[in-house]
Amino acid sequence: MEGVAMKLPSFKSLAPTAISVASTFSIRRSLSFARRSSSLSAATITADSEPVSLGHRARKDFRILHQEVNGSKLVYLDSAATSQKPAAVLEALQNYYEFYNSNVHRGIHYLSAKATDEFELARKKVARFINASDSREIVFTRNATEAINLVAYSWGLSNLKPGDEVCAPLVILTVAEHHSCIVPWQIVSQKTGAVLKFVTLNEDEVPDIDMLREMISEKTKLVAVHHVSNVLASSLPIEEIVVWAHEVGAKVLVDACQSVPHMVVDVQKLNADFLVASSHKMCGPTGIGFLYGKSDLLLAMPPFLGGGEMISDVFLDHSTYAEPPSRFEAGTPAIGEAIALGAACDYLSDIGMPKIHEYEVELAKYLYETLASVPDVRIYGPRPSESVQRAALCSFNVEGLHPTDLATFLDQQHGVAIRSGHHCAQPLHRYLGVNASARASLYFYNTKEDVDSFIVALADTVSFFNSFK
Amino acid sequence: MAASMSSSCYLSSLRLIPFNRTFFSSVNPPSKNLILRPIPSFLRTIVTFLKIPTVIVSPLSASSSPSSSVDLQPIEELPPKLQEIVKLFQSVQEPKAKYEQLLFYGKNLKPLDSRFKTRENKVEGCVSQVWVRAFFDEERNVVYEADSDSVLTKGLAALLVNGLSGRPVTEILRVTPDFAVLLGLQQSLTPSRNNGFLNMLKLMQKKALSLEVKAEEGTSESTTDEASVVEVDLESKPPSVVEVEESESVSNVVALGSRGMRIREKLEKELNPVELEVEDVSYQHAGHAAVRGSAGADGETHFNLRVVSDAFQGKSLVKRHRMVYDLLQEELQSGLHALSIVAKTPAEV
Repeated sequence: MEGVAMKLPSFKSLAPTAISVASTFSIRRSLSFARRSSSLSAATITADSEPVSLGHRARKDFRILHQEVNGSKLVYLDSAATSQKPAAVLEALQNYYEFYNSNVHRGIHYLSAKATDEFELARKKVARFINASDSREIVFTRNATEAINLVAYSWGLSNLKPGDEVCAPLVILTVAEHHSCIVPWQIVSQKTGAVLKFVTLNEDEVPDIDMLREMISEKTKLVAVHHVSNVLASSLPIEEIVVWAHEVGAKVLVDACQSVPHMVVDVQKLNADFLVASSHKMCGPTGIGFLYGKSDLLLAMPPFLGGGEMISDVFLDHSTYAEPPSRFEAGTPAIGEAIALGAACDYLSDIGMPKIHEYEVELAKYLYETLASVPDVRIYGPRPSESVQRAALCSFNVEGLHPTDLATFLDQQHGVAIRSGHHCAQPLHRYLGVNASARASLYFYNTKEDVDSFIVALADTVSFFNSFK
Repeated sequence: MAASMSSSCYLSSLRLIPFNRTFFSSVNPPSKNLILRPIPSFLRTIVTFLKIPTVIVSPLSASSSPSSSVDLQPIEELPPKLQEIVKLFQSVQEPKAKYEQLLFYGKNLKPLDSRFKTRENKVEGCVSQVWVRAFFDEERNVVYEADSDSVLTKGLAALLVNGLSGRPVTEILRVTPDFAVLLGLQQSLTPSRNNGFLNMLKLMQKKALSLEVKAEEGTSESTTDEASVVEVDLESKPPSVVEVEESESVSNVVALGSRGMRIREKLEKELNPVELEVEDVSYQHAGHAAVRGSAGADGETHFNLRVVSDAFQGKSLVKRHRMVYDLLQEELQSGLHALSIVAKTPAEV
């Protein structure tokens, strides 16, 4: 019971009957809370002295990682595609459906008031997680892709039109963008005539910042770039980019899918106009993501999807719209998922994003170094150095071996889960001159041993296929 | 009539492909679309009716299926070379050895000339690049060539090439991806966009069919039955299976031959119908390979049946169709290719 009060303050207000009725459930919950609190106390008490890494401690919270696949222990190295969820997040989702599931915002009765409270609390948690000034700057969407589409259709269609100037408005992207940050702008450009320009890579295999700076002109209306690349593992200097863009009156949209889960992201410091992220990459459930937009921008934007929730008054011939964020949240939202995302924010904050980032920087270096030591391996993106910090992922190719073969064998024979393909970055792969690549991506629940297992499996795979040449 | 016709056709086409049921428990329509999509709509008609007898007559296949729990296509229905390959893989227990075997096939695959690595020859939905080429030999058997930049995929392609090359179109079209399960390679059979193996097989079947169609269009019709032969203009056939049957059955009434009479007798005797219509629509399928040669001299291969009987009371649509098929087993085994069934109770008419 003490655990309940501490970890989920919202349950203080829950009717006592609910807790006493679910006796078996509470046993299970208290066990998992015990597990969670012990893992966290280990984190706080023994951080300085013990040799057990964050990865080892965190693993206990992720039951899914403790299984065998194809006869070997699962080594999950695909967190850039989706992250695993800790027990606390799963419980939050279960709790919602089990104790207070109800539609939000419109209801009068107890359950719906409770659901609404928790839903809006989750919004506040997300706002706090990225240091937004107001929770109304957080719009819940289905995922980051939908969030970018929201900006494209709502802000883009009305702001990327030629207007008075004769020349077409410019949108600046990079060749390394994820498809979700390319295709919506292509759609908008087809409708409005806006021109898209792409920044290419420099010799360090990162987007050329000087080129980006030069591209920015009075014609530029939007710069839409990633914070951390899901293929190259490089980061862009968003703060500087925002300064340059704002000088010419352009807006900046940041695709923070690979940064928000792994490091401190402070939208006040970055000063970006729009920022998007997905819940499922940051220990939250699928089906929910968010758009951060500065208040004055959101207020001026027309709706994206039409329906309930986003309206103020509806007549037969016209309707008036609600204020943001509701204006952009048509229909019943993914309530349970939003609440679980809030729980994910809590979980990550409890560990501490700086701590997670520090651990991952170390892991990233270890991964890069051990992978680079395997012969015939070509890793994409910059080399880690004093000035360059890579994200904890490596996209790579082995000479003479198709990444699909590699990934298949790693999975079938060694239980190692990596991704092979273009990782939703076909233009980047075309630019690099390859059809596909393999990618191993880590999160704070991975350990050095995971990396070691991967490298051993990789060596075995390479020798197996080489023997057939 | 049209509604029930369409539902019977829908069910018929669903039942064609057993893995539809067994592997994709979640959503049926996408898998149905996946099977039908690559094949142009007018050709879909032919493929639909072609496949029914091998699957519906399940009492036969159940016993011979090696995998007891699931209704897989029996191995005997596969082309001989493919049967051999499947048996070979089954005899190799260790997964690593299976992969070695697969790679061995791939290594010995005849290389594909780069001028054949075109868009039409590319298999959709593969993360690796796979090309397949098909052409007829002198005996109108299909010969395949293939290549891939991924060695595992090349192995799979080689497997299919070795297993299907040199065989007639009908045999190739009968193959379902079930045998991949028997190989034990754990190649996923879900109809996702990225399932290269499934798409490879489908492309090979599609190419076989289009070779056949092209050859047919080159020659005049050559059936020998006494029924009035209608030049089947494949290009202009309406897209839905339903409409084909409806529009053409009215204007071309054909006298029943011996098989038609037998069907009528059997159904009358066993089902005691209030209404019974037996219509021979074989001429609509005259000219395609399944009809030629395998139907025997009478050429009676395709029928529309309309049966109204109390015997169907309380039975689901599937059960009703089953009843009819069971009664006509003998015919199905001796050259009857396809039935389109409307089965109603008197109350439903």
